[in-house]
Amino acid sequence: MIRAPGWRRGGKRMARHYSETDVVAILDDLDPARLRSFVAAHVVTPVVTPQGHAFTEADVARLQLLCDLSDVYDLPNDVLVMVMSLIDQLNTARGDMRALIQAVATEPDDVRGRIITHVRNVRVIVRD
Amino acid sequence: MAGDPYAALGLTKSATDAEIKKAYRKIAKADHPDLNPDPAATARFKAASAAYDLLRDAEQRRRFDAGEIDAQGQERPQRRPWRDHAEAAGNPYARSYGFDGDPDLSGVFSDLFGRRGGGFGGFGRGAEDPRDFHVRGQDYRFSLEVDFLTAARGGKTRITLPEGGDLEVAIPKGVRDGQTIRLKGKGGQGLGQGGSGDAYLTVAIAPHPDFRREGDDIHLTLPISLPEAVLGGKVAAPTIDGPVNLTIPRGATTGQKLRLRGRGVNGGDQQVELKVVMPPRVDEDLARFMEGWRKDHPYDPRAGMEAGG
Repeated sequence: MIRAPGWRRGGKRMARHYSETDVVAILDDLDPARLRSFVAAHVVTPVVTPQGHAFTEADVARLQLLCDLSDVYDLPNDVLVMVMSLIDQLNTARGDMRALIQAVATEPDDVRGRIITHVRNVRVIVRD
Repeated sequence: MAGDPYAALGLTKSATDAEIKKAYRKIAKADHPDLNPDPAATARFKAASAAYDLLRDAEQRRRFDAGEIDAQGQERPQRRPWRDHAEAAGNPYARSYGFDGDPDLSGVFSDLFGRRGGGFGGFGRGAEDPRDFHVRGQDYRFSLEVDFLTAARGGKTRITLPEGGDLEVAIPKGVRDGQTIRLKGKGGQGLGQGGSGDAYLTVAIAPHPDFRREGDDIHLTLPISLPEAVLGGKVAAPTIDGPVNLTIPRGATTGQKLRLRGRGVNGGDQQVELKVVMPPRVDEDLARFMEGWRKDHPYDPRAGMEAGG
């Protein structure tokens, strides 16, 4: 396990932080120049700490995706910004949808029935 | 990866490096878990990327072909895909996806999910007339880690924005985890007379080794010595504004709570939980005294326990 600065013991769970050097070491496809270009393009935003820039576990996963998209599709950064915006919108919507469905699932039958009827009327086309 | 890495890429041992790369890219395009939600696709992608990790390195490939290493040993710990992080609440990259400007639904929508950063490029602000080309700059969103005491007491911290450029940020006294600090005009440049966007710093408060915070109250566990517990007296208790004298009552015990009124954040209190700490070594004097004392002063601290002693 990598214990990067910013990782703290006990009490409240704090997201572990990785320095720029750490993330470049973790991800084979990432070099410092590429990391800087992602930051400059605002597709990844480091956490600002008094010690400098740091990245969370989630940022590392995002950087892996950014490397994959850049390499596999040969995407230039401006296209990458657009693609990531769409992926972010989709994931946000998916997270919201999950929360809503969970809320609906815990409602009593009559409430669920009204919601289902409404959604079917609006969203589902029935063909005879 | 179970079995043959060449098979995972749809190739045989005779494949060239270029073919390996091409085969991996083909599978990644179709089956990347962030682009294709099908679990079967994720399984194919995992197998292919493990195979590619092994075979992309000429020396490792040679050793695998020679039977010196097996495919299993090369497997790297699988990271959670971005999508798992992205769906989670509090993801800083969460984006508005089109309801904020909806005249009928924006109210219900923001009641449920709050407000989020705009679409890419900083457009989509709605109110501006697109024909006049005055567009306000993009708002930037960052996370800012603040140490515990600075958050409790307020203060200033110097930060380097991801844009570059040093900046002093005033941390308001008593700022809470997850609150946002707005830096006016520190976002992206606007077009025409649109003006700059703002930078929003979401505060994450780093834990303190001794203090904990609950709302405006500060909690602290204070170790006291055996004589202090028995006899009582004044001890110095740390607070966020420096040590203050705390009167320990005679016969204090572990778990007992004392309140330092007004020593928390913004008029809150500090709650002190006492913890009696034995001397590092029980010497002859103490043991002899206790033996004598025990004879004449028996007491059973477990008498009240329902589970029985």
